[in-house]
Amino acid sequence: MFLTRSEYDRGVNTFSPEGRLFQVEYALEAIKLGSTAIGVQCDEGVVLVVEKRLTSPLLEPSSIQKVVEIDSHLCCALSGLTADSRTIIDHARIETQNHRFNYNEPMGIEACVQSICDLALRFGENRSGGDEKMSRPFGVALLIAGVDEKGPSLYHSDPSGTYTQYSAKAIGAGSEGAQSTLQEKYSKTLNLLECQKLALSTLKQVMEEAITTTNVEVAIVSRDQKKFKIYNKEELEAIIAQL
Amino acid sequence: MNVLKLTPFPTQDKEKPLNHGRFEPYVDNGGTVLSVAGKDYCVVAGDTRMSDGGYGIQTRKYTKIFQLTNKCVIATSGMQADTLALQKKLKVMLDHYQKENGKVMSTPAIAQFLSNTLYYKRFFPYYTFNLIAGIDEEGEGCIWTYDAVGSHEKVKYSSQGSGNQLVIPLLDNQVAKFNQLLPEGPKDVPLDQVVSFVKDAITSAGERDIYTGDYADIVVIDKHGVRWEKFELKLD
Repeated sequence: MFLTRSEYDRGVNTFSPEGRLFQVEYALEAIKLGSTAIGVQCDEGVVLVVEKRLTSPLLEPSSIQKVVEIDSHLCCALSGLTADSRTIIDHARIETQNHRFNYNEPMGIEACVQSICDLALRFGENRSGGDEKMSRPFGVALLIAGVDEKGPSLYHSDPSGTYTQYSAKAIGAGSEGAQSTLQEKYSKTLNLLECQKLALSTLKQVMEEAITTTNVEVAIVSRDQKKFKIYNKEELEAIIAQL
Repeated sequence: MNVLKLTPFPTQDKEKPLNHGRFEPYVDNGGTVLSVAGKDYCVVAGDTRMSDGGYGIQTRKYTKIFQLTNKCVIATSGMQADTLALQKKLKVMLDHYQKENGKVMSTPAIAQFLSNTLYYKRFFPYYTFNLIAGIDEEGEGCIWTYDAVGSHEKVKYSSQGSGNQLVIPLLDNQVAKFNQLLPEGPKDVPLDQVVSFVKDAITSAGERDIYTGDYADIVVIDKHGVRWEKFELKLD
């Protein structure tokens, strides 16, 4: 296995004889090392919960941010090499603001996800063009939650440039366990509060440490307000107490 | 005896270049467009005369109204070539938007997009004076009126073109109910009344403005879509 791989696992634009792109597959592995992120969508909105790994008690928790704003109606949770997400988020923010500039309306969720995936696929491009280009696939996966005229929606995008819509999705180190729990407990009839509870309790299940206000981040996208909100410390305290 | 003398052939003054005339990229082909918005509809009228910039008529059947979507039309006066170029560009961009965003561009989005499109040619403008008329996502009739470089305003009625000065006071008085002896505010008027009023307005413009005439397109936009009607004006 190793012998067959070694020929083809270096180039990002060379298929192996079996038709695989190893660098992309390795990038997908990088996500499985990342912290767990969970998204759950219902008719009223979407909930995103993310684990923050605080590797040292001396670490300032607020310096790690795993739920970020793209636009007022669009946010995303990330897992994997979070530094790579900077490029993606920057791109997505420009795209959504450009859409507002051009059309005086918020960008559709799927259109934004598509533009993120267009960027994620650019790793294979020729680098002689002069513009700075990527040398490898991104090592980060995103859960993108937002609300548009079609209602709230949750998308998952990965380093291969593929995107899929989900009702509930977990990514990161604890994703396997979390995904099966979500599959068991998710129902279309859940309301936003129940979704929040499901997401948080699922995350608690797969986290090694006890859940506190400093080691999780929660954001909700509300259909009514057409906006998302990241929970502050008091709001986190309240929902963790209910678990 | 008179001797026939040959005069020398006049020599070309090489220092002085031939005069080719100035570059004149613009012609005003004239015409009038106007639009009135109601609660859940929009009526647009535009004549179909295309003048040569003077007394000549190049065609009597040049439609100044262009359907962009099922909820939106653009009515343009000014130069015909620029109008066609602008319409072509908008059509392409609308198709592109639909593929990228999975939906038809809304009328307010088209309004913003047209302004940007015009402003991008700020220093060599399209010689066009536009009206965007249609219904928005809530089904309400709405109109945007533009200058050549993209300044725009959302209004309830407007007109553009060579008969603009003739039509606007009529609209001010009859649609907005300005300058009435017995004051009354603007009110919701049924569609058929507005259609007949708009026909009167474009007919009046055709009577006085030499660049307006021949035929008129009357376009109604409401929740059922876009309906066209032809209407005769004076041919002189």
